[in-house]
Amino acid sequence: MARPVFKLKADGIDVGSEAPVVSHKLGRTDLVKYAGASGDFNPMHSDEVAAKSAGLPSVFGHGMFSMGLLGRAITDWAGVGNLLNYRVRFTKQTWPEETLSTKIVVTSKEKTAQGNVISADVSLVNQNGEVKLAGSARVLAA
Amino acid sequence: MSFDDYKGAPMSAHTIHVERGAASRFAAAVTDTNPVYHDLRAAREAGFDGIPVPPTWTFASPFLGAWAEDQPADPTGGKGNPMMSIMSDLMKSGGIVLHGEQEFVYHQPVQSGDVLTSFGRINDIYTKESGGKVMTFVVMETVFKNENGEPVVTEIFNLIHRR
Repeated sequence: MARPVFKLKADGIDVGSEAPVVSHKLGRTDLVKYAGASGDFNPMHSDEVAAKSAGLPSVFGHGMFSMGLLGRAITDWAGVGNLLNYRVRFTKQTWPEETLSTKIVVTSKEKTAQGNVISADVSLVNQNGEVKLAGSARVLAA
Repeated sequence: MSFDDYKGAPMSAHTIHVERGAASRFAAAVTDTNPVYHDLRAAREAGFDGIPVPPTWTFASPFLGAWAEDQPADPTGGKGNPMMSIMSDLMKSGGIVLHGEQEFVYHQPVQSGDVLTSFGRINDIYTKESGGKVMTFVVMETVFKNENGEPVVTEIFNLIHRR
């Protein structure tokens, strides 16, 4: 295959630049869709009756759904196939009806043997600013 | 067995078929409507030969593309994934298991039509005390390789038992 098309140009990016925000209101349908598409059928994510009998207020979101949503914002920005590294720490659970928003802030830009590499702090926060995921990503730019 | 005995222990091996439908449905499930994941013409314009997979797809891939008839020998020799025995031992004294951290290192793009082999092992186990809680960290690494034996994705999966 040819190499994936670059979406970012290193010249137009500075430390502190932010990627477009992706916001998504989490619904129970998202949990069911993610369960089906990923094969993760932990009942705490898809069975409200089981979640309540385990003492939870409701089902809660898969951490890997959140990581996928934030990953979507990264690839929307940098282009699919340009990601070198993506890591997160799961800090809080997500709950239905929360609005989750991505935040991607450039922390460095360097020329390497692989090409122009942009590093960013990445996070996912709810409508009250509570951080659900926090981590970093490195992407390639033209 | 002490924790040290588990370090480096193999957990799992899979042969994984990267199927277009599974890749597209996974993209849709993480809200990703990028046509690159849903329309081969857009994927080709973006430089791919097939439909690429979203960044976190490999984490789910053993549940999606491991066909029973062509799986490699069980690297645990039938003993089962040691992570499961570590966690069930820890859970005997109560507590909860949390997905602490997840990392992906991307070496080469993965796209529909690829056949990957994965191999997972336990990298490290350690315990920390914090705020009166005992936290046991199990750090696992899975390397996915393509048909030429080249690594395409490395995953680092950090599970925490907290009590």
